[in-house]
Amino acid sequence: MLSIHAKQIVARASLAVLVMLAVGLLVLGWAKRSAVDEARLLAADLLAPAYHAMVWPQIQVRHWVEDLHGATDLARECSRLREENRALRHWYDVAVVLANENAQLKDSLHWIPEPVPQYVTGRVTRDDGGLYARAVLLDVGDGHVVRAGDVALDAAGLVGRVTEVGPHTVRVLQINDDASRIPVTLTTSRADAIMVGDDGAMPRLMYYPQDQHPIEGERVQTRGQSTMPAGLPIGSVHYSAPNHPVVVPDADLARLDIVRIFDYGGQSLVAPDAPGRVKARVMDAKPLSSDSAMFGLPFLLQSLPVPAASGH
Amino acid sequence: MVAERSTPSLHSAVEPKQTWRLVLDRMFRSAMPTLLLIAVIIFLSAPFGVPGQEEMQLGVALCAVWFWGQTRPRLMPTPAVFLCGIVLELYSFGPPGLAVLALLVFYGVARHWRYALAQVSFILVWLIFALFVILTCCLQWLLVCIHAFAFLSPMPGVFQAVLTVGLYPSLMALFSWGSRTFANPDCA
Repeated sequence: MLSIHAKQIVARASLAVLVMLAVGLLVLGWAKRSAVDEARLLAADLLAPAYHAMVWPQIQVRHWVEDLHGATDLARECSRLREENRALRHWYDVAVVLANENAQLKDSLHWIPEPVPQYVTGRVTRDDGGLYARAVLLDVGDGHVVRAGDVALDAAGLVGRVTEVGPHTVRVLQINDDASRIPVTLTTSRADAIMVGDDGAMPRLMYYPQDQHPIEGERVQTRGQSTMPAGLPIGSVHYSAPNHPVVVPDADLARLDIVRIFDYGGQSLVAPDAPGRVKARVMDAKPLSSDSAMFGLPFLLQSLPVPAASGH
Repeated sequence: MVAERSTPSLHSAVEPKQTWRLVLDRMFRSAMPTLLLIAVIIFLSAPFGVPGQEEMQLGVALCAVWFWGQTRPRLMPTPAVFLCGIVLELYSFGPPGLAVLALLVFYGVARHWRYALAQVSFILVWLIFALFVILTCCLQWLLVCIHAFAFLSPMPGVFQAVLTVGLYPSLMALFSWGSRTFANPDCA
């Protein structure tokens, strides 16, 4: 048995040793951030079923409240739905006509059909952004084929991109995160811009042509660069202040529930090889690590050998 | 309040018999602060969508280690604080390592100043706690800015600090009640 003094010395030394260990963890966490993220993903993976169980009563109560609201206002709800149904029927006819016309035009133009993306649907397990980040964890179950860089959409629009992949869960970096940079196209002015997240609710628009300022209310779509296809709906332009255009996202980023992860083949458009060109090699199913990710983009730079001059 | 062992040891002849049930009861009561804190950290990481939920994780943890370090450090020894910090690191997404360090610093300050803190008023203790919370939030904001290599808005940090300082009185009342009842090994 230790004496009282020895116990006190051990107690004081343990605090100092553990503080040193914590400082070591701090340094290690900064040096190997990917290892920390993987450990956190694994921990969330372990608790995914428990999270569902914890949230289940809340979801049930929400459904009951919604049912109760619907029951108390049944007549008005019915008339609203009738009106909406009438409008939808009209839009259905328009859509059928346009789809037929589109199919005929594509057929006559020998349009190359676009590949149908594979997707998995998952429920948001938890919000894992922390104070200064915007990201969510999705439970996509066993045997998924989700890769880093895949595109996440909810029912209305673009949510973000997959950054880390675990056995059951994947992490999606939202478009309003500070690290998010997405090339976009403005549908009315046909200008290109970069949508930059700033941890707020509405990401900013930057690097648009100075002679083509974004128009209030115009739609914003993806441009089709890197692994992201063109034409995915993102939101609409809004000026929160003069010369400060932001995008009001279609997706409900504050209350994400069901999110789909689309795999568009992971093949970005790569220009044909040219002498001296630095080739962008698209990464495969391996999750991103800090060593391989280049500015958060899912590709590696690979220098090509410069062919010898043909001396003629 | 300051004494680590509030009930003096009884003479062996009048001490209750050490049955396994009594030993187990005492053990659970001793481990209750740590177990409860880990449970709260995991519970607050679930996706309830409650505003301020993430901020509450660190806030509750800081208040808990401050209280137990100040009043009954035997019930939450240093390795237990470290364990709580690791759990908090795993189930939160702040700058890595900062939560463990913050918990240990809060615990160390509360534990080593506990005799001095017991002699001053509650308001002064609250102010000292607030000062350390502000320092922690500033450090957290600074680390995130360095990592992002950008000047981020300090508002989330301000909210974190205000929430933690605001939680302090109510949590102190709750912990005080806990230390007299379910987390009191002398009641076993």
